[in-house]
Amino acid sequence: MKGKSIQPYMLLLPAILLASAFSIMPFMRSLVLSFLRITPRGTIIGPAGFDNFISLFRDAAFRDSIMHTIIFIALFLPLNTFLTLLAAILTRRKRRYGAAFEYIFFTPLAVSMAAYAMIFSEMFRGRVSIINRIFGTEIIWLDSPMTAMATLVMLSVFLDFGLDYMLLLSSFRSIDRSMIEAAEIDGAGGLRMLFSIELPQIRPMLLVTVFMAAKDAVLISAPVMVLTEGGPFRSTETIMYYYYLEAFRSANVQAGRAISVMMVAISVLLMALAGRRRHE
Amino acid sequence: MNRLIRILLTLMLALIVLFPLIYGFSASFFSPIDFTDSYAHMLPSDPSFRNYGLALSHRHFLRYVMNSTITSALTAALRIMVTLPAAFALTHFTFRGRKALFIMLLSTLFIPSDAILYENYATIASLRLLDTYAAIILPSVFSASAILMLYGALSSLDKDVYDAARIDGAGCLRYLISILAPLSQPYLVAIAIQTYISSFNSYLWPLLVTNRDSMRTVQVGLTMLGFAEQGERGAQFASIMVITIPFLIVLAFGRKVIMKSLSRGRDII
Repeated sequence: MKGKSIQPYMLLLPAILLASAFSIMPFMRSLVLSFLRITPRGTIIGPAGFDNFISLFRDAAFRDSIMHTIIFIALFLPLNTFLTLLAAILTRRKRRYGAAFEYIFFTPLAVSMAAYAMIFSEMFRGRVSIINRIFGTEIIWLDSPMTAMATLVMLSVFLDFGLDYMLLLSSFRSIDRSMIEAAEIDGAGGLRMLFSIELPQIRPMLLVTVFMAAKDAVLISAPVMVLTEGGPFRSTETIMYYYYLEAFRSANVQAGRAISVMMVAISVLLMALAGRRRHE
Repeated sequence: MNRLIRILLTLMLALIVLFPLIYGFSASFFSPIDFTDSYAHMLPSDPSFRNYGLALSHRHFLRYVMNSTITSALTAALRIMVTLPAAFALTHFTFRGRKALFIMLLSTLFIPSDAILYENYATIASLRLLDTYAAIILPSVFSASAILMLYGALSSLDKDVYDAARIDGAGCLRYLISILAPLSQPYLVAIAIQTYISSFNSYLWPLLVTNRDSMRTVQVGLTMLGFAEQGERGAQFASIMVITIPFLIVLAFGRKVIMKSLSRGRDII
């Protein structure tokens, strides 16, 4: 294919330009600039070493945001995994009316984040809320730190439910039928089958789902923005919400860059773990 | 016994999953008084379509819906136009730097766009693109996972067909459009569906790069309709339902296709 050697480069050009402009270059810029000292007007003064990172960690609000993110993940990940796995287990066989339940468990896919967040803020609003009425409680959910965090976790479970359920369901369905039939002939009952044949089979996909959910959870910010705006008393401010406030509201761009660099590092780590699990 | 537990559990879980949607739907028929009553209503006291009238006649709401529809469709179309030729080049040509370029493109998988919001905002601002469709679309056109998915699909194709087509005088673009695109159609559909859903639902980025009412996307606009402030909370829920119900219908009919599309490529990593 002589004389045409420029062709593949031309085909790749748009992809390379876009990937560089909106992903690689911005990250490189954050990486380099986060180790430099820069005036608020954007003039580079000189190297800063780890100063940007150190002053970031000196800010109590940032340290708190790390704590809130950890608490969020610690609550969200087990609950989300448990519920989506349970739904997938319950509907994994094709049964009568099965399609209807499958559809119901898919519906969260059709509801956007903003829509769910607004419905949730009504469901949990004030003392006279529908949730309080159903459970006979008198909690003002979004007014105290613990219950506001709980509401945020519940909202996030709904946001991820549809996709995670679907991925788990399709991995249950892709298990080799002959293995299940063989186990049936050997007299394995429903639960026995689930725990010793099916769950081990979908384990890789389950772990990938968990790590990807963890990666999304580390980066959570938009639901915080719509549901709680970080409140009450900054108690639901996550790392990325803090990033948003610093970079866009307080014009503290250097703090934002330091956070960018750390968040990319964390997501590389989580994706590498997911990848390794996958290939085990 | 086991069967009964299974059915009860399924019903309970289904009720929990559906509850916010049912409540939102019911609230879209509430009168203003139903929201401020001494007890929380589950059902509207005087159901009417008044809230839907308010939502649809809102100054900007339909414009928001249109903006979202256009930008999501454009993002999906452009993503295919960018990633298909790239995957074609990576699978059907041998050239200097092929591997390096492939790795470079895939490295973006590890850079979550949320983590570089500020730099991307600065880029768009310096290009003077704020408040344009381009601002909403451009940063999400390229997708490493789409490249990866197409790379897998195209490298399984027989290269002999390509050589034969070349001998017959088919140019490389013609081959791409009239042979490769139809052959990889299920993957292109998957990419289109994934992209459309994710950009229709994106919130943070459109919020940052749009300021004028006429450019807002519906997810951002939804939180700024101002119905709650006017004491018309019901209209806010009607607006939510107007954008949610079409997706619910599409999901009902296309459940299998959507399921296949969304799970495609997820297991590559």
